[in-house]
Amino acid sequence: MNLTRRDFIKSQAAVAAAAAAGVTLPAATTARAADGDDGVRWDKAPCRFCGTGCSVLVGVKDGKVVASQGDPDAPVNRGLNCIKGYFLPKIMYGNDRLTQPLLRKRDGVYAKEGAFTPVSWDEAFDVMADQWKRSIQRSLQENAGKGVDQLTSRVAMFGSGQWTVWEGYAASKLMKAGLRSNHLDPNARHCMASAVGGFMRAFGIDEPMGCYDDLEHADVFVLWGANMAEMHPILWSRLTDTRLTREGCEVHVLSTYENRCFELADNPMVFTPQTDLAILNYIANYIIQNRAYNEDFINQHVQFETATTDIGYGLRPEHPLEQAAKNSGVGKKLPSSFEQFAKQVAPYTLEYVAKLSGVPKANLERLAKAYADPNKRVTSYWTMGFNQHTRGVWVNNNLYNVHLLMGKIAEPGNSPFSLTGQPSACGTAREVGTFAHRLPADLVVKNGAHRAFAEKVWKLPEGTINGKVGYHAVLMHRMMKDSQLDCYWQLCNNNMQAAANMNEESYPGWRNPDVFVTVSDPYPTVSAQAADLILPTAMWTEKEGAYGNAERRTQFWREQVSAPGESKSDLWQMMMFAKRFKMEEVWPEALLAKMPEYRGKSLYEVLFENGQVNAFAYEGHISDSAGNHYNNHESADFGYYVQKGLFEEYRRFNSAADVPKRGHEMAPFDAYHQARGLRWPVVDGKETLWRFRGGYDPHVAGDSSVVNFYGNKNGRANIIFAPYEPPAESPDKEFDLWLCTGRVLEHWHSGSMTRRVPELYRAVPEAVIFMHKSDARKRKLRDGQVATIRTRRGEMTARIETRGRNRPPEGLVFVPWFDAGRLINKLTLDATDPLSKETDYKKCACQVVKV
Amino acid sequence: MNICSCVVHTRPQHGPTVGAALAQLPGVELHGGCDAGKLVITVEDTDTTQAADTLSALHTISGVINTVLIYHYGGDDLASSLPHSAQSISRSGCEEMQQ
Repeated sequence: MNLTRRDFIKSQAAVAAAAAAGVTLPAATTARAADGDDGVRWDKAPCRFCGTGCSVLVGVKDGKVVASQGDPDAPVNRGLNCIKGYFLPKIMYGNDRLTQPLLRKRDGVYAKEGAFTPVSWDEAFDVMADQWKRSIQRSLQENAGKGVDQLTSRVAMFGSGQWTVWEGYAASKLMKAGLRSNHLDPNARHCMASAVGGFMRAFGIDEPMGCYDDLEHADVFVLWGANMAEMHPILWSRLTDTRLTREGCEVHVLSTYENRCFELADNPMVFTPQTDLAILNYIANYIIQNRAYNEDFINQHVQFETATTDIGYGLRPEHPLEQAAKNSGVGKKLPSSFEQFAKQVAPYTLEYVAKLSGVPKANLERLAKAYADPNKRVTSYWTMGFNQHTRGVWVNNNLYNVHLLMGKIAEPGNSPFSLTGQPSACGTAREVGTFAHRLPADLVVKNGAHRAFAEKVWKLPEGTINGKVGYHAVLMHRMMKDSQLDCYWQLCNNNMQAAANMNEESYPGWRNPDVFVTVSDPYPTVSAQAADLILPTAMWTEKEGAYGNAERRTQFWREQVSAPGESKSDLWQMMMFAKRFKMEEVWPEALLAKMPEYRGKSLYEVLFENGQVNAFAYEGHISDSAGNHYNNHESADFGYYVQKGLFEEYRRFNSAADVPKRGHEMAPFDAYHQARGLRWPVVDGKETLWRFRGGYDPHVAGDSSVVNFYGNKNGRANIIFAPYEPPAESPDKEFDLWLCTGRVLEHWHSGSMTRRVPELYRAVPEAVIFMHKSDARKRKLRDGQVATIRTRRGEMTARIETRGRNRPPEGLVFVPWFDAGRLINKLTLDATDPLSKETDYKKCACQVVKV
Repeated sequence: MNICSCVVHTRPQHGPTVGAALAQLPGVELHGGCDAGKLVITVEDTDTTQAADTLSALHTISGVINTVLIYHYGGDDLASSLPHSAQSISRSGCEEMQQ
């Protein structure tokens, strides 16, 4: 019998799976897989979806991605892949890909209420630049005579944790150096900002000390508001493996509703929303009462502080909750001591916290014992449950408090670990300075020395960079509605669907006649449809890229296929747009006078043809070590190796000898095209698995008994007390249920990619209301029946699901947000953590009624 | 035409029963791994069922803790012959592993 391609591919598939699982297959199967020639070019690329950072082998044939395989050489996923990864290549081939710019026009010219009309890139940028120049002129007038830390701006960019490293870096440079606007924020504000705040307050440096290797070293895993089984399936499979093979290993799962992780839970806990703050203080109290704390560690490596309390909910200043808050938005920490901390957590007794949280005493005690056992290595994971929280920074810190009391940190298996939701929330959003308060490599705009360093690297006159923190994601929408922000460019995300309180803030802001909105996207998303100009974008392997995952691993890929039609990468778009501006149009005369050689130049020339970004030649193609050739559409158009130039310039922020903040070192550009990613700090070609500990971290001298939290000047980590404070909105008589929003395995974020994969669409076609049976019965609703869900801000209809994968307790419903046809963010409240400015998407009050 | 492979995790003692249940699903072929609780299967489209639907059904089998995908092919040239010939394909499941 002839071996068909089908037989051959099936055998290859089975062999790949067996290798990943460490299982031996019958010889016949392996022999078949070794046979034949499939004519497919394989190359590596990190996955486009979550923050895990799985490496995928991408098979290209005839200019199209036809196959994908979990990369067997990748340390992250070791040949495994999840269902979204399986369909990854199909995201590029949706039927409604945008292929040319579309501008709202009436009678042949731009009109806010006009109809989308195809235009050339030239016309698109002409119209857009015209709008931006007018706004920048206004800002220049408004800023006349102001100091550098008082500058305002009317132009903003909203970027992404899915941007490549160089896209984020170029955005940071374009906005902060070029246009002198700090109104640059990433969608990571909605997912990671609280984690960043927690790191900075406790350790003075961002990102986890541990890494995924903890998955094989821990005795105890605790999930705090992380549905890993659905959101990080590959890490979940590594965790499962350890749980099933390691003697005594146990898994504790905390959530406000039962999810798939509960299937593996030894200690399952469903708690009342917001009470995670109190549970953590109970654990700290338990540790102190039982004298289980690590006294040596505390004496040598910890300092105690206490948070300012009653800080409000990040709502508009006139909101009654802000008016009532004593210290609205105050982040100041006050000095404290072990004794004071012990007193502060003392009220969090088992009795009190069991009652407050609804978790049985036995479960709470079992959890506390696991943390308090000096012989058990504990790894804690969290994602949006902690971060999307009006006290997100506090709850992050309350967990660090527990780990620090025990000294269970910065070594294999003892790891408080913040998981990320986006492929480059760390590598791009956090590391290259795309937050409204940041510059590359943890530097901040408020710090004069940091600004001076950035100005030196970027060859800018002193006093170029604006010292005033820009508008964060939520504030941008408010400012658009209030006509304080005139131009808004959203790239690589879908914020109209993602931002909370669409009816009251996002939509009125975007459609305000004073505002010009540009959206760059591969697909006509909810955002694109609400924009004034849509730019078609090259995605994922249609461009050369780099992502940084949750364990500080930077991974590169090459352009594998060409983008359809006239689509171009966000990087190309930003650099081309910079060509539209003369320096005289964006800088005041006084600043230009400090560097007269920039007179008459374009913004593009100053930012990108600066002898650094354009330092590397482009030979007409990129080659790999096997001699395969790849296109690079940006380099072809700009005439130099754009990605390499940007990355090498960025490296001056993290690897030069004179950087203001050490500890973020990266390897040279070419090393990443070879390796399956490297975890920073990379010093002398060696990556770092655990930070702050000798023997692992090149910045700490000595062996593994030496710990140095060098992010803080005194080398100590901060234990910061924060109390339980109630959420912004809780169920009452009229709105009697908690509304919690989130994701499902099959769809990623707003579904703009996964909903275009027919298989994933069919698997989960629409958002449903996950609800407890009794709650449904009380409302005379049956499984599958359509109901109206309503909050004070909006309503929608969806089907009731009482038997699905998520099982909420009585009093809470869960609704995923991927569905563009059922926009749950019309209902959510834009209450944010006053410290991190991250929205709480997990708690507001709703009602569900029969249609 | 979609062909993919997965590793399905179970508790090792449930391997054979879960494996048997999986093999009943349309387009599923079991290749091994029952003893280790890491079942290696391929899933392909059949005339009536898409591979994707079968993949979502894997979770509904009692005893399945986790499923991970390894490989996917989505090209349209699966019926063509390869230049080499090879021995015929026998069904290879846990029975064969145990022989």
